[in-house]
Amino acid sequence: MAEPQPAQMKVEGPKRSFWRNLSLAWLVPIGALAVTLGVAWQSYNERGTLIEIRFENAAGVVPEETTIRYRDVTVGMVEKIEFSSDLSSVVVTASIDDLVAEGLTRDAQFWVVRPEVSASGISGLSTVLSGVYIEAGFVPQTDTGTSAAESTTFEGLDTPPLVKPGMKGTRIVLRAATGTQLSAGAPIFHQGIEVGRIETPRLIDSGNGVIADAFIDAPYDKRLTTATRFWDTSGFNVSFGAAGFNFSVESLSTLIRGGVAFGTVFSGGEPVPSRYVFDLFDDSEAARDSVYSDLTDNAVTLTIAFDQSVSGLTVGSPVTFSGLKIGQVQALGAFIDDVDGEQEVKLRASVSIDPRAFGLDPDTPQEDTLGFLGDKVRDGLRARLASEGLFSTGLMIELIELPIGQPTASFDPDDPQIPSVESNIDDLTTTAQGVLTRIDNLPIEEMIEQITATLGSIERLVGNEEMQQVPGSVNGLLTDARGLIGSEGFQTLPDELSATVGELRTIAEDLRTADLVGTLTRALDSAANAADTVNAMAGDLEGAASEIPGLVAEARALVKKANTLPLEAFVNRASDLLDSADRLIDSEDARALPGALTRAFDEAQRALAELRQGGVVENANATLASARDAAAAIEEAAQTLPALSRRIGSLVGQAETTIGGYADNSEFNRETVSALREVREAAEALTKLARQIERNPNSLLFGR
Amino acid sequence: MENAGRAPQVLTAHAAGLVGCVQCGRVHRPDVMYCDRCGAVVTPPDPSSLQRVWAWLLAGLIVYIPANVFPMLRTSILGQTTDSTIYGGVVDLVHHGSYGIAAIVFVASIIIPCAKFVAIIFLALTVQRRVRISTHARHKLYEVVEFIGRWSMIDVFVVAILSSLVQLDFAASINPGIAAVSFALSVAFTMISAESFDSRLIWNADGEDYNNG
Repeated sequence: MAEPQPAQMKVEGPKRSFWRNLSLAWLVPIGALAVTLGVAWQSYNERGTLIEIRFENAAGVVPEETTIRYRDVTVGMVEKIEFSSDLSSVVVTASIDDLVAEGLTRDAQFWVVRPEVSASGISGLSTVLSGVYIEAGFVPQTDTGTSAAESTTFEGLDTPPLVKPGMKGTRIVLRAATGTQLSAGAPIFHQGIEVGRIETPRLIDSGNGVIADAFIDAPYDKRLTTATRFWDTSGFNVSFGAAGFNFSVESLSTLIRGGVAFGTVFSGGEPVPSRYVFDLFDDSEAARDSVYSDLTDNAVTLTIAFDQSVSGLTVGSPVTFSGLKIGQVQALGAFIDDVDGEQEVKLRASVSIDPRAFGLDPDTPQEDTLGFLGDKVRDGLRARLASEGLFSTGLMIELIELPIGQPTASFDPDDPQIPSVESNIDDLTTTAQGVLTRIDNLPIEEMIEQITATLGSIERLVGNEEMQQVPGSVNGLLTDARGLIGSEGFQTLPDELSATVGELRTIAEDLRTADLVGTLTRALDSAANAADTVNAMAGDLEGAASEIPGLVAEARALVKKANTLPLEAFVNRASDLLDSADRLIDSEDARALPGALTRAFDEAQRALAELRQGGVVENANATLASARDAAAAIEEAAQTLPALSRRIGSLVGQAETTIGGYADNSEFNRETVSALREVREAAEALTKLARQIERNPNSLLFGR
Repeated sequence: MENAGRAPQVLTAHAAGLVGCVQCGRVHRPDVMYCDRCGAVVTPPDPSSLQRVWAWLLAGLIVYIPANVFPMLRTSILGQTTDSTIYGGVVDLVHHGSYGIAAIVFVASIIIPCAKFVAIIFLALTVQRRVRISTHARHKLYEVVEFIGRWSMIDVFVVAILSSLVQLDFAASINPGIAAVSFALSVAFTMISAESFDSRLIWNADGEDYNNG
């Protein structure tokens, strides 16, 4: 077997090109490379734009963990934290999504969100668990022209901004004398609704004031005009005035955080630009009063020369016209006036006057305003000093219009002056002072002392035990008196009197009808006849008895006497007497006596009841007075009783003697006499009663 | 084998003009199409197969870069997400004191892949060049590379198992990162690369050297 020949391996085909020789396997690394590059590119894109944020400290910020959020969406991650080269701050490097980075503006704000508890509430609670994050706030750039991020270095804020960028509204600046009313985050109210917030106040560079940025949310910022005024509502407001004690708190949160409010105080304001500066007033009153205190730029300046002292007039003193503030004093100075070769020092005040005060357009050119004022001056516009108030020593300048016919004044628009007139300011002050002096001189203290003393004695009087018992005693007395008056005997007294008088009257009538006089005359005539007969008989008897003529003479004298008796007159008088007695008894007074007494006692009792109810001592006086009146009335009534009884007594006495002189035992006589006696007794009873009343009016009241 | 490796007088099949079957190793005449024993297609050693080796190797190398740069694991614990790369994971394990596991991961994920790259490159380069290392040693190296390559997947398995087990929503969750895919691809590519390598070329080159020598 032959040695095996090596196979002919060198088979050279046609020279294959390099590319034909390539294996398809090369596609794999190419694909792998493409995919890897794609992944790399994608992750590079995701890595975003690196930005640097400077913070004062990096509390809670952790690299690769702390996220950057915009509108609460994670848009980036903190990559690393390092110090700035001078160790003055911490530089946080963070990667931000490209989309967000493109919109970043130079004034983008970054702040660390931490859990925070404040008067406004609790915020950032979620960061307790997840750790802090950095919030970004900015207004995205909308113009695509300059889409590239303007800056990659930002200053971080220490505290979250109160107004996040992108919020719609108007940013304004508040200016105040002190920062006590302004605290960061304090709310701004408009008609009680919270419409904005105050940011941290800061001192003005010049040092004499505080300004604070404030933000009014849309759409309330439309209410902001040049006519808007801001005032402080922080804390509480206590006022004490004629209406009493007033305590008001705007809201509980303003009590803690303070707050301001704004309102439109006059119409016609113009919209304000951003960062317009508003002054902050102490209260709404001051804000409303300030309407013309801040003058527009084109206020006109005029000078007013005064002959008088301007003591009390200061820069800023108001200039008023018809009570409306139209401007203020800008400067005060003196100048030398050459009047008739005599140098005279005069005082001059520069005042600026707001054209708006006269209803002119705020943009009125100054020339027009001056022209208007010039016309007014020619028509009699004058300035004079006036007191700012009754109790104020401050002065103000008052513009008045003199009546037509006053000496005219010229007006030079180049040197505008308002002529001044003498004011009666001093008199006014004097008068006011006089009034005050008089008020001062009033013996108020003495008066008060007296009043105090009086009150003390009244108190003592009322506190007196006896005085306290008085109402009870008076009441008992009144009850007794009422019992007396209500008793039958008392009630029938007038009736009895009336009956007695009626009897008397019938007696008198009887007397009259019985033709007593005629009978008497006839009896006397017959007696005369008898005497004549006796006389004749005696003549016949002739000396039978020497005594008879004497007897006859006596009889004659008797008859004569009887004849001369004024019997007629007596009867008439008796009749009159009876009539008057009747009238007395019949009279309203007598008849109403018990009623009046009853009423008087009722009144007294009512008064007592009042006294007892009200316990008012003053009433006691009135009551006692009325009781006294009642007693007086009783006394008065009682005083007529003795007169009556006396008259009745005299009448009866007369009648008795008369009648007793004539008849002895006739029935008529007896009846008459007994009737008269009854009358006398009645009269005596009356007299007794009257005397008793007179002696002791109380007995009537007490019933004894 | 030791002796044979060093015996220059050993006649290789290539030197004898024969072609060995890739599957079972039986040698045939060059004109035989199919192996008598196993029926596989008998092909002569193809130097162009090296192209495939290089191509797959390159792909493996390329994807090995993101496998190390990008995070392998994305761990979320109570809202805090932590990304960890292969090397970062090893460092973390060392810091936690788990030196054993750190060593395993380090060896399986970094040393073995890197060694494989080096070995394959070495083999591919030495096919056509004369080197000191004998053909036997090189063949042994090839065997080792082919065997050990699959064990690099241990890291990918760990990630896969963790990802499927630890899914506790907010409390804790583990997700595979881009590196996991890249690493798996890298291992696969290098394995394919090793498979593509025709080990007969080692001997061919040796034979040529032998012939030439």
